[in-house]
Amino acid sequence: MNRKERKERKRQMKQERKFEKVVEGNSFKQWRSRRPFWGATLTILAGLMILYIPLHLYAIAFIPGSLVFVGFIFGGLVLIIGICEYFYPQLSTFFGIATIFLSVLSIMGALGGFLIGTILGIVAGALNIAWDKEEIDLDTWKRNKQQEKIEQVNQAV
Amino acid sequence: MKENEKIIVGKTMKKKFLIALLTGFLAFGSLIAAFGFSGTAFALPLGGIGDFYVEFDELNGTNFQLLPHVGETGNSDAEPMVRNKMDEVVITNLHIYKDLELPGIGWVRFHVRSTGPTNITGLIHDARLIEADLSFNNLEIEEKNTSEFSQNWSQNAATIKIKDAKIVTDYLFQTVVSLDGAKISAERIDGPDMTTFPGNGK
Repeated sequence: MNRKERKERKRQMKQERKFEKVVEGNSFKQWRSRRPFWGATLTILAGLMILYIPLHLYAIAFIPGSLVFVGFIFGGLVLIIGICEYFYPQLSTFFGIATIFLSVLSIMGALGGFLIGTILGIVAGALNIAWDKEEIDLDTWKRNKQQEKIEQVNQAV
Repeated sequence: MKENEKIIVGKTMKKKFLIALLTGFLAFGSLIAAFGFSGTAFALPLGGIGDFYVEFDELNGTNFQLLPHVGETGNSDAEPMVRNKMDEVVITNLHIYKDLELPGIGWVRFHVRSTGPTNITGLIHDARLIEADLSFNNLEIEEKNTSEFSQNWSQNAATIKIKDAKIVTDYLFQTVVSLDGAKISAERIDGPDMTTFPGNGK
């Protein structure tokens, strides 16, 4: 077995373990695995951080020409995107791009939530962009597992 | 769980993640660099840290407005102060400093100095004491019969010139600020600046 095959085998074993964890896990774990959970959670945190400064400056937010109002919009949009990610996981790439874009722009009007909001937003956006789903048929998967076990017993015998 | 059911398992693709992360930080870095090169900051608030001091040689402002205000300081929830608002401001030789007692070190003074002209758009400034030479153009003092203290009295001017000022400040907000030749430094001092209200001993 060469290095490439070993690497592929290792990757497959890792994936199998992950499938097993999800199939045997509780309903929250299964719900979590159907959507970019960590990406969405970090996006909400980033939105709250970005909103922190405009909320403290609400008294001047509506003065004409004040950029604080823009901070409100950026922070609010990031927060809404974070919530939407839980419900529309199929749009995770679009949400990820929008999160990064808005988090970077939030330096204007909200100081990027003391820059922590911006950094969290970039990481969250990248997680959302990189998220992908894999569908497995439970019946087939269980049958394959059983087959593997039988093969292992046979080999041992 | 029903048989024949499909299970969705999410995964994060490392390559995509790294590319997106890198692109995000690159965009972030470019924006910071753009602001850094022009010395511009957007929506800069400074407040809630107690009194700090603003000194400058000359300030020229437009659409000046002075209003009574009650605001929070570092030591009190409500202190009487004046709120100054100006649309466009040019300041020469700006010097902002703040004294802080750091544990184990003692009193330290943090300085922000700008040797070139400082341009500010949308200035809001709450002060407890202003010591300066002032001159106004089209000065108007207006009173209104209202119980709302902040609208009861106001002073407006088309332009204002302030010279050799020392201002005890508690809150500062600038929509856009550009500091030319800014220098930030810190030094140890024996004790804090005790500039106070004349007469009340505070």
